[in-house]
Amino acid sequence: MIQKKICLLGASSVGKTSLVKQFVEGIFSEKYLTTIGVKIDKKVVTLAEQQIQFMLWDMEGNDSYNVFQERYLRGAAAYIIVVDQTRASSIREGIDIHTLARQVTDCPAILTVNKNDLPATWHIEDRENEGYQSLFDLQFSTSAKTGANVEEMFVALAKLLLKG
Amino acid sequence: MSKDASTEHAESEKQLEQVRNLLLGKDNSRVTASFEKDARRIVADVITEALHDRQQRDNSVDKVIQPFVEDSVKHSVEHNSEQMVSSLYPIVGSLVRKSVAAFLSDFMEKTNQLLENSLTIKGLKWRIKARQSGVSYAQYAASQTFVYRVEHVFLIHRETGLLLNTVALDNENKSDADIVSAMLTAINDFVGDSFLNDDGPKEQLQAVSTDNFNLLIKPGPCALVVAAVTGNPPQKISDQLQLTVENIHSLYLDELNAFDGNNQRFEQTENLLQDCLLSEQKSKPTDKKKIPWFAIALLFIIILFIGYKITNWIKTEKLHTKIMQLDAVPGVIVKQLNIRQFDDITLDVLRDPDAASINQWLSSHDLNEQHFTIIERNYYALDPSILRQRAQRIIAAYPDLSVKWQDSNLILSGLLDITKKEQLHNALAIAGFTAGQNLITDKLQLTSALPMLESREINQQVFDDIIGRIGAIQLNFPVANEVINAEMHASLQRLYQYITQLEPIATALDINFGLLILGSSDNTGNKTTNDIISLQRAKNAADILLRKGINKDKVFVVGLGQIEIPGISSTARTVMFNIIHINQSSITNDIKQ
Repeated sequence: MIQKKICLLGASSVGKTSLVKQFVEGIFSEKYLTTIGVKIDKKVVTLAEQQIQFMLWDMEGNDSYNVFQERYLRGAAAYIIVVDQTRASSIREGIDIHTLARQVTDCPAILTVNKNDLPATWHIEDRENEGYQSLFDLQFSTSAKTGANVEEMFVALAKLLLKG
Repeated sequence: MSKDASTEHAESEKQLEQVRNLLLGKDNSRVTASFEKDARRIVADVITEALHDRQQRDNSVDKVIQPFVEDSVKHSVEHNSEQMVSSLYPIVGSLVRKSVAAFLSDFMEKTNQLLENSLTIKGLKWRIKARQSGVSYAQYAASQTFVYRVEHVFLIHRETGLLLNTVALDNENKSDADIVSAMLTAINDFVGDSFLNDDGPKEQLQAVSTDNFNLLIKPGPCALVVAAVTGNPPQKISDQLQLTVENIHSLYLDELNAFDGNNQRFEQTENLLQDCLLSEQKSKPTDKKKIPWFAIALLFIIILFIGYKITNWIKTEKLHTKIMQLDAVPGVIVKQLNIRQFDDITLDVLRDPDAASINQWLSSHDLNEQHFTIIERNYYALDPSILRQRAQRIIAAYPDLSVKWQDSNLILSGLLDITKKEQLHNALAIAGFTAGQNLITDKLQLTSALPMLESREINQQVFDDIIGRIGAIQLNFPVANEVINAEMHASLQRLYQYITQLEPIATALDINFGLLILGSSDNTGNKTTNDIISLQRAKNAADILLRKGINKDKVFVVGLGQIEIPGISSTARTVMFNIIHINQSSITNDIKQ
């Protein structure tokens, strides 16, 4: 079976862990996340022709106290930058993380604007954010709470990786 | 000066290269070509030795060849099965025998082990301790039985942390191996970064240990081999892991470098990883083959138990058949027989009082009556032998009578007075003998009643009884018919007998009597005709009686015609009898008065 390592990155509290939880039934407890900064789950995505197993590395959120842990990006087939549409600062933090990540890997990057079940305080289409869109291979608006677009995002990622 | 020297050096290098090209050809093509020509011969000369040497050095040849052999066999089985069958045929028989023998021996061994572990004190202790330490019994038993044992081996891609292959001792718990390997990689990275050594290479996790469990990690440039070991792992395991990781790198270097997430290319590494599943038992097995005493004992007990049950069943069946013979005894019916144990038998029977006693029958058949609970209820049997016995018991009270049996008919003859005859008749009727059916009393003669009569009261009672019986006789005719049929004949015969019995008693009691014969008819049709037919019926009955020998002077015939009583009048086509009697002595007394 094809396996791929996928990393989830983003500022604190943007919903990375919730996204993974929505996508898989997690088996490892949350304490791993705070102990070593990453929690790993797996999920098999079935496409029409074949199956692909994602190893999802859910990385601890970055803020001024937590430095970006680039070591976990090693060998990743793709990474997902998660941002929060209720917090305008999260897109800037996300772009910062993306810039750091780009220094160690050139694998496909996906932007996920999460919490679309809540009112947005900013939009990716806003003029100041326009330039960011071209940095990413794929872009989604999701809700870990309602599950909107979550499955679709991972399926699209699977197709992208298999095509490559 | 130095510049000249370097220019000169470069010049000579260039010339040397030209000479090299001339001699060896471009890219050593002449040398390669000359080798290629003889390559086959050269390799053929040394291939066997080379394979032998390499195999001696690191056992890697057979692991490389094994997949080819497997594929070839598979191909042969699929495409040339006939040939395979004929090649294997001579050894199939012994293979099957060996396999069955191995299976049985393994089964016995496992059963014995199971019993030993489950039933012995050691086994129970282990169970308790396993529960206390919160591990499964199998794990605890393994930790007690083995000095060490490799439970799992993982092959992990170093860059991505993805699982390339895994082997487990029991082929279970493989499902989370990929997450375990990813987590292990993350932990490894975490440790490597946390204890970063500025001067040298990154720190690398070598082992993770708990009280009973060890993860041994052997890193290679592209992949890690990790062994999960219970107990105390010796250096041997580490050496084996090192050897395996080296082998994998030498055989799969290209695949490891080009790894894109597809781990199918590493399926063949299973053979190499299997070599790492090492273990050592605590107590070395002795050369002498262990005899599975527990299994043998259990088998023996089971056989003994089954044997006991079968013997018991056969014995019970025999006893049952023996006791059921009682059912064939005349006058005994076995309702229920329940053998709980050989000394606890319940026998529920119906028994004729004249039949053989149950206890006697049991003792005559060598059965201990103490073992029986007998529930006995009485009934009257109609078995010929019982009837005969019963009749003999009754007739024993009449020693003057002689008894004869004709088939199952009782024939009585002799002299008997009227009262005793009556008693005998009654007793025999209760005992199942009916005159005319299985009782013949034609030859039974009455003694002269007169001297035998003991008292006037008894005679008077018998007299009243007989006239009562006579009054009870009634002939019923069909519509417009006055003919005496066979049934009526039988009734008239009985009537005749009563009259003959009555005569001596009447004489003794000094009573004059006469027989009234009363004919009647229903109320349909003409009254005159009815009067005639009623009289005719009475006359016909009287004729029969007169022919039998009854004195004509004692008979008075009357035709009553229609009997006008509601509910009777429409069907009263009868002849009735009545005795009219006058006590002479009372008449005399009246005159005297």
